[in-house]
This record gives sequence, C-alpha cells and structure tokens, in this order.
Amino acid sequence: MSTADATVSGDNPAPKSNLRVGMFALGIAVAMLGLGYASVPLYRIFCQVTGLGGTTQRVDEAQAATVQAATGKMITVRFDANTDPGLPWEFRPERPKQKVTIGQRDMATFVARNDSDKPVTGTATFNVTPTQAGIYFNKIQCFCFTQQTLKPGQEMRMPVLFYIDPEYLNDPDTKDVGAVTLSYTFYESADS
Amino acid sequence: MATTATPETLPAHDDAHDLHSHADHKPPFFQRWFMSTNHKDIGTLYLIFAIFAGVVGGAISGIMRAELAEPGIQYLGWWTTFLGGDGANFDETLHLWNVLISAHGLIMVFFMVMPAVIGGFGNWFVPIMIGAPDMAFPRMNNISFWLTFVAFCSLMISAFVPGGTGNGAGTGWTVYAPLSTSGSPGPSVNFAIFALHLAGASSIMGAINFITTIFNMRAPGMTLHKMPLFVWSVLVTAFLLLLALPVLAAAITMLLTDRNFGTTFFDPAGGGDPILYQHLFWFFGHPEVYIMILPGFGIISQIVSTFSRKPVFGYLGMAYAMVAIGVVGFIVWAHHMYTVGLSVNEKMYFTAATMVIAVPTGIKIFSWIATMWGGSLEFKSPMWWALGFIFLFTVGGVTGVVLANGGIDDNLHDTYYVVAHFHYVLSLGAVTALFAGWWYWFPKMFGKMHSEFLSKLQFIVFFVGVNTLFFPMHFLGMQGMPRRYPDYTPAYTLWNEIATRGYEIMAISIVIFFINVFYSLIAGKKAAPNYWGEGATTLEWTLSSPPPFHQFETLPVIDDKAGAH
Amino acid sequence: MGIRRTVQYIAGAATTLALLPQAALAAVATTEAPVAEATEAAAEAAGGYVPMAPTDGKGMPVDGGVWFQDQYSPIGDYGAWMHDALLMPLITVISLFVLLLLLWVMVRYRRGKNPNPSKTSHNTLIEVIWTGVPVLILLGIAVPSIDLLAKQYESPPEDALTVKVNGYQWYWGYEYPDNGGFEVISNMLPEEEAIARGEPAQLAVDNRMVVPAGVPIRIQTIGMDVIHSFAVPSLWFKLDAVPGRLNEKALFIKEPGVYYGQCSELCGVRHGYMPITVEALPKEQFEAWVLEQGGELAGADEAAEAPAAAEEGDAEVTTEGEEPAAADVTTA
Repeated sequence: MSTADATVSGDNPAPKSNLRVGMFALGIAVAMLGLGYASVPLYRIFCQVTGLGGTTQRVDEAQAATVQAATGKMITVRFDANTDPGLPWEFRPERPKQKVTIGQRDMATFVARNDSDKPVTGTATFNVTPTQAGIYFNKIQCFCFTQQTLKPGQEMRMPVLFYIDPEYLNDPDTKDVGAVTLSYTFYESADS
Repeated sequence: MATTATPETLPAHDDAHDLHSHADHKPPFFQRWFMSTNHKDIGTLYLIFAIFAGVVGGAISGIMRAELAEPGIQYLGWWTTFLGGDGANFDETLHLWNVLISAHGLIMVFFMVMPAVIGGFGNWFVPIMIGAPDMAFPRMNNISFWLTFVAFCSLMISAFVPGGTGNGAGTGWTVYAPLSTSGSPGPSVNFAIFALHLAGASSIMGAINFITTIFNMRAPGMTLHKMPLFVWSVLVTAFLLLLALPVLAAAITMLLTDRNFGTTFFDPAGGGDPILYQHLFWFFGHPEVYIMILPGFGIISQIVSTFSRKPVFGYLGMAYAMVAIGVVGFIVWAHHMYTVGLSVNEKMYFTAATMVIAVPTGIKIFSWIATMWGGSLEFKSPMWWALGFIFLFTVGGVTGVVLANGGIDDNLHDTYYVVAHFHYVLSLGAVTALFAGWWYWFPKMFGKMHSEFLSKLQFIVFFVGVNTLFFPMHFLGMQGMPRRYPDYTPAYTLWNEIATRGYEIMAISIVIFFINVFYSLIAGKKAAPNYWGEGATTLEWTLSSPPPFHQFETLPVIDDKAGAH
Repeated sequence: MGIRRTVQYIAGAATTLALLPQAALAAVATTEAPVAEATEAAAEAAGGYVPMAPTDGKGMPVDGGVWFQDQYSPIGDYGAWMHDALLMPLITVISLFVLLLLLWVMVRYRRGKNPNPSKTSHNTLIEVIWTGVPVLILLGIAVPSIDLLAKQYESPPEDALTVKVNGYQWYWGYEYPDNGGFEVISNMLPEEEAIARGEPAQLAVDNRMVVPAGVPIRIQTIGMDVIHSFAVPSLWFKLDAVPGRLNEKALFIKEPGVYYGQCSELCGVRHGYMPITVEALPKEQFEAWVLEQGGELAGADEAAEAPAAAEEGDAEVTTEGEEPAAADVTTA
C-alpha cells in the first residue's frame, strides 16, 4: 500500500499494485470456480470413501476374501427396485428381503423385463438406507457396475453378490439398525 | 500508510482543465450516464435500477398476495394472458404461479437488494468514506452495472419464452435439479440461468473492485481498523461474493450443460446426484443471505452512531463479528437441506454450526444498543428506520435459531414459517436498512433535503404493513401451510387474508416513499454538507451535498486521534 | 407392469378431469363410475373397507390456527415440547428483552434528557458477557436438539411395516413391499368431492395411504421424476423423495385417525395439488385392508419364505467364487 495507490484518480489507468490486488482477487474467484467443478469428482470420491448418502462400497474378490465371517449375527437386508418412468422395463427384486449373516457373502437376485418391442439398455443407480450403513455394504459383483441391454420381451435375472462388513456391529450409528435396504433405480442409458 | 499526500503527487489529468474547475466538470449526458466511470454516478444508476427492479419484484408479490387472499384460483388465469397464455389452461395457470415465485425471489435477491446495498450505497460511499477519489477500476465498475442490467433483461426474456407447461421459468429461485433440467423443457430456464451468470459475473467484478479499492486506496492514516463499519461490511461482503458466486456459476453452468448438452452432473440416469446441486447451490446460497444483510449492518452502525452522537460501541468486536459471520456462513449451508436425507451426523453438525451464528449476530445487536446507551439520541427519520431494523432483525433472527434445529425443521421446513423467517431478516431487515441508508444519505447524494415527516410516516406505515404481512406467516407455517402453493385448504384463509391486507398497507408506504423522493428532488431545501450535525463524523460529511464530481483531489489525512467510525 | 401403468393412466386422467372445473363433473360421473363401482364391489366382497371419516381438527389445520397441529407421534410430542417449552419462551424473552432495552435507551438517552453523550466505546466485561451468555444459551438448546435428532434417526425395528412412498408428477404412490408389493395410487379429490365426503378441500385424496396405528413403520421415499417431499405436519414427518436415491425414516402413529399432509418440495406445475392423506387403523383393520387390496400379510409371507431363504443362502455359499452371471430365465 504505497502512496501512489492511495492517490490514483478515477480516469487514469490503475497503477500496477491495484492490478496486483485485483488479479489476486480474480485468482480467488477463479479458484472457487475451479473448486465448484472439482466438487463433482470430489463429492463422488467423498461419498465413496465415507458412504455418505448410503453409497455402497465396491470390493474385488481378493478384498472380499480377507473378511472374517465368524460373527454369527444375522441382519435383514431388504431389496428395493425402481424404474424410471422413461424406461419401459419392469424391474423387481426376486424377494423383498432376506436374512444374511454379517461378514458372510450372500447373493440377491433382481429380475428385469423389457416390455417394449425394441432392445433397450439401462443403467442402475443405487444406495442403501439407513445411509450410515453404506460404508459397510460391500458389493463384490453387481449388475449395476455395467449397463444392461434387454432384447424386446426379454426377462433377465440379475444377481448382486455382497457382504456386510463386520465393523458394522461396532459402529454405534449402525449396530441398532433393524434392516438395511438396498435400493436400485434403473434408467435408460443415454447412449442406448 | 505513513505518508501524506499532496496535490503534487496526484497524476495529471489529460484534459486541459486545472484541478479546481476539474472537480465539477461533468461529461455530456450520454457519456456521463451510459459510459460512466464515476463511482457516484454508477452508484446512482445502481440505485435507480434497484428501485425499478424492486417495483417489479414487489408488483409480482402483489399478484401473489392477491391470489392468496382467499382459497381457490382467482386471478392467475387472467395474468397468464400477459405471458402468451390463453387464460383457460389450468396447468398453464399453475405454471404462472411458479414463474411468479421464481421471478420474485430472483429479482429481489439479485436485482433489488444486491444492486442497492453493494452497487448503490457501496459505490457511492465506500470510496468517499476511505478518502479515495474513485474506485480502483472505474471502467470495470461501469461494466458491472451494465452486466446487471443485461442480466435483468435476460430474466425478463425468460418470462416470455416457453418454459415447459407455459411461458417462463417455474423452478423457484433455487433452480433445483431435476425440476430445472428434465422437468423444464424449453429455452426459458436457459435464459434465467444466463441471467444468473451475468449477475454473478457483475457481482464478482464488483467484489474485485471493492477489495482492491479498500486495500489499496485508503487515504493516508485510514488504517483498516479506522475504517467506518460500513466499509468493513462491504469488504466482508466482497469476500463473500468472491468466494460464493463462482461456486454458483459452476453449479448453474453444469445445469446448463445438463439441460442442453447431455451431461449428467445432476442426473441420476448418468450417475449424477441431484443432491450435489443443492449442496453447491446452498454453499453459495447461505453466504448470499449474509451478502444481502451485512451491508445493512454497516449502514445501521453508521446511523446509530450518528444519531447517538457517540462512536460505535465495541468497534473491533463489531468489525470482527461481521468477519465471523462471513466465515461461519460458509460452513452451515446444509441447514437448507435438512429433509433431503442427510445422515444423523451431518444433521447434528449443521445444527450446531448454524446456532453458532447467533453469537456474532447477538454481539451486533447488543453493540448497537450499547452505542445508544449513554448517547444523546436524536430521532431523525434514519434513526427510526434503524431502530425498526434492530427490532425486526432480532425477531427474524430468533426464528432462525428455531429453524436451525434439525429436529424442529422437520416440521417447519418448506412451510410459511420459513417464508416468515427469511422475510423478517431480508424484507424487514435488509430492506429496512436500505430505507434507513436511503434517507440517511439521500440529501448527501442528491443535494436536496427530504421531508422528515414523510420519511417517518413511511416508516410507520411500512412497519405496520410488513408486520401484518409477515407475522401471520409464522402461524400459517406452524399450522403446516407449505411454501410455493397457489391455493390452500380453507383453514388457512384467515391469516392469508390478513397477510394480503398487510401487503396493501406496505404498498401505501412505497407510494409515500415515491412522493417523498419526487417532492424532495423538486422542492427540497438545499442540503448542507453535514446536515445531521456533529454526530456524523465519517468523511462524506466533510464534502458538499452532493459531493463534487471528483472528490478528494487533495487527499484527506486521517488524524490518529479522531476515530473515523 | 401393465396394470400399474393402466392405473396410473386412469389416475392421471382423473386428476386432469378433476382439475378442469365444472365441465369435468359430468365426465367424472360417467368415466369414473365403473371404476368406483368395481372398487366398492371388491370392498364389499372382502369385508368392506370404508375410508375413515376425519375428526375435525385432528391431523389437519384448524381455522385461523396459530400453533402447531396437535401431534400424534412420539417424535411430534418431543419436537413440539422442545419448541413450546424451550425455544418459544426463549425467543420471546430475547425479543422482548431487546425491545425493552431499545425502548429504555430511547427514553432515557433522548437528546432532551441527555444532551451530552458519554464517550464510552469499550467495556470488556460487558462484551465478554454478551458473547458468553448466548453461547451458554445455545449450548442449552443444543443438548435437547441433538437428542431430538438422535431419536428421529432411530432406525425402525427389523419387522416394522414398510411403506414405500413414490413421488410422481403430480400424485403419490404408496407401495407395500412386505405385503405383496401392491401400489396404491393417490390423487387429490376435486373440491366438491372432498366436501361431499366431509373432508377438507385441497387435502383429501381418492386413495389413502393406509397404515397400522401403534406400531413402528418404516417409510421409504423415492422420487420418480423430480424431487418431491412427503410431509405430514401432525406426525412431525417430512422426508424428501429424491430420484435415484432411497430415503428412509421411522414413523410411529400413536392412534388411529386421518392425517393430512402436502408435498413440500417444489415439483412443477401441480406441486400444490398432490396432497397426502394417511389413514392409521388398528392393526386388524389394517390387515383386512391389505387383503382387500389383494395383498398378503407380512407374517404369513415371512413364515413361508424364511426356510427357503436360508436354504438358498447355503446354496450360495457353496457356489462361492463362481461368477454369478446374468441368466435369461424366460423370454416372453
């Protein structure tokens, strides 16, 4: 803050130091703009890491193999299936719920049928409720990992291979949860 | 700032006039008002624009209050004919309602309050109060104003092009996805989003300008801790703008590409999440409410000090309370989203963080009262408005403490209680502060004394009107009436009708306002440089009323002993 | 699902008609009659569910009301208590305190009375007090507030009845996955119809969300197109229905009754025309209603399924490691 800055008059070009502060402020704005866009991947990563919003975890076979199954505790897992009104499919869980042993892998099956007369590709979004269970809900295999294409009238059974991490029992936020619901919504793929 | 400026250090002017006559040399009309680089002229343009936008936004709320005066749909059908409807299509009629609520919110936030407090009073008085000849980037200042104007035009255009069921954008001012993406076909929402882009760009430029001006162009001796609180409030506001608006810009740009170019940032069909939009929107939206109210805080501080003939009590506490409000304002956004399905831990955190804001806000309220305590109070009209502000803002603030509780908000969220709350802090808070500042500085800006009687009369009518208008909304909200409804079950009739009567009273106060403005401009007495007397100590009172076209060609030197605030 | 779509279509058409004024009345009479008759016939055959008449002032706003609706859930009692006993007195006292201080300084320190202002502009003690006391007050609020939140988030028990609330533009669908998965489509009744049935206009619906009273319920919400919000003020319940993302919250209704609510998130044109009517019945009557809807009872369903589930679970464990590929079972 020099004398020159303080004496700048309205219709003269701003001296360098004004420009410096101005550029600094502009830099903040640009950085925040970047942060706004960066929030998209950051939010996704944050949800994946923390299970925020009931985001489930994806594990591979090797990771799944390390989990101890010896809890003996059972929990009810409910299954929920939704279809976007724009997708001409019928989609439902084979059973609305099943009891599973915590720490032990289990399989649930969903059934989808294409009611239209042309092939349709869909993708599924998913979450679990209560949302705090998301971090412990591990999927080893899921139809939601990839797009699914159904021929006209075709019905397909679609499995999910999952287990619930035994840590679930130690978390005060989840240990009293009565039932965990795994929910899917099928949408028509943008590129189908 | 140890040095003292002398006229010799001033840069030479490129025209032939000498320094003295130059001070009042005004460019020709078109150049002066359309290519202005003078902070006072730009401030005046902003104020005129804000008054115009306020009339439009206020008229829209008039249509809404008329419709809500009794159950059923009475007038909306007729109004659709103005937006190209035929008046008979029921869905189009309802769509118009959504267009009205969206336009009311967007206009009042982006085109009335913000241009008035920041563009208007900020431009006019920040340079003067710090002893600067003008803003740091005068041309950018001009661009800021005209961008706001074009943004407003874009919003107006959006009302006359298809937005789904009828013309206009019916998404609410929050523009939530997916209602604003897949739920609103047609170009209308694009125009509305574009309006937000332009208004945002304008505000960011304004913020850069204010920050540079305040950091770099203070007169010798005017240290940061001697700046008047109004300048402090604009400085904090400018930083909030700088940090919050780019995030909104990013969010609505993503909306735009989701709408038009097939991206799926907020579309679950492509792996996006509509909740992310709400997070981004409210990361901007919550600081935004402080952007609207902080300059009001600054104005009230000046007025209370002036008419108490006392320096502001706890100056540093006041300044840093605003900084604290600004900082905490960035970490509480999800209290606007308590019902979206947050986890219990998130909700507990946001409940606790939100309540923290009550502390610096309380400091401000109590410091204003302490400023008056022991003072020698003179009840000129701006003081009436300032006292009204303090009480109304308190009422709006305490309902905020109620809503901060995530567990209570489960009942009150998206009801008229929320509408009552934010109108108490914004309509009765920010707008009352606007009127306070207007009548405090009107003679300074335009050189003519206003009618104290009319200003006080306006205050009384306004006070009665807005309280009749908004207080019953607490009742409606607690009874469960949801926001953004054009119709309601008959049980809500009584308080809705009373609220509409309140609107009518409030409208009268606006008529009084205009009478006073025109009366003063035409027949007002010439204003002295310091018409408020010895309590008014900031630098604008050392200048003539109105100030010369170019002020402080010799920079004022701030005495170490005299507090400028 | 053909039937579901048909139902939706009929429901949608009915709403359209309902929303068009008088002209619609005749049309409704002709087109809806067969449907209504069919439902009634079915109802009689299965034991006769008759929509409960609402009690005046219970579960609905009252004329000129200024306070919360009476609460019929434990969370509602707690929330209303917290507001009425803690927050409301507190904010009233604070507002009056500020008002009194203002009036006091206005009278005491007016220029006529106090021509020479003091120059005091700092007092550390008082500044510490007015920072510290609000902090303590807020801590006092935070404790019950956090406790209330914790209670609201208590998960429903495993065997709680699940009702899935689907938000559509602009009606609600109530799905009962534990009872065979049928879905009740719920549209707003036209004003005349609502009044004829003795129900409040703008709040009454054709098919209600029927639930048992006195037992925990698991409400799950999801949006089918845009975001809606399922809200019932007299049950202190509000939960957004977001597309692509299931939300869940426990609900417990203390006694039978009819409880009205409205969509509470702007969802487009007819946002104001998709009310919610919850009818809580004693458990037996609720079960009768389920059977009438062609559903099945949760208990029976579970007894039949439990062993099967266990067996299948074992089978899966043995085939562990195999890639369970998506398999075609039928091609219709």
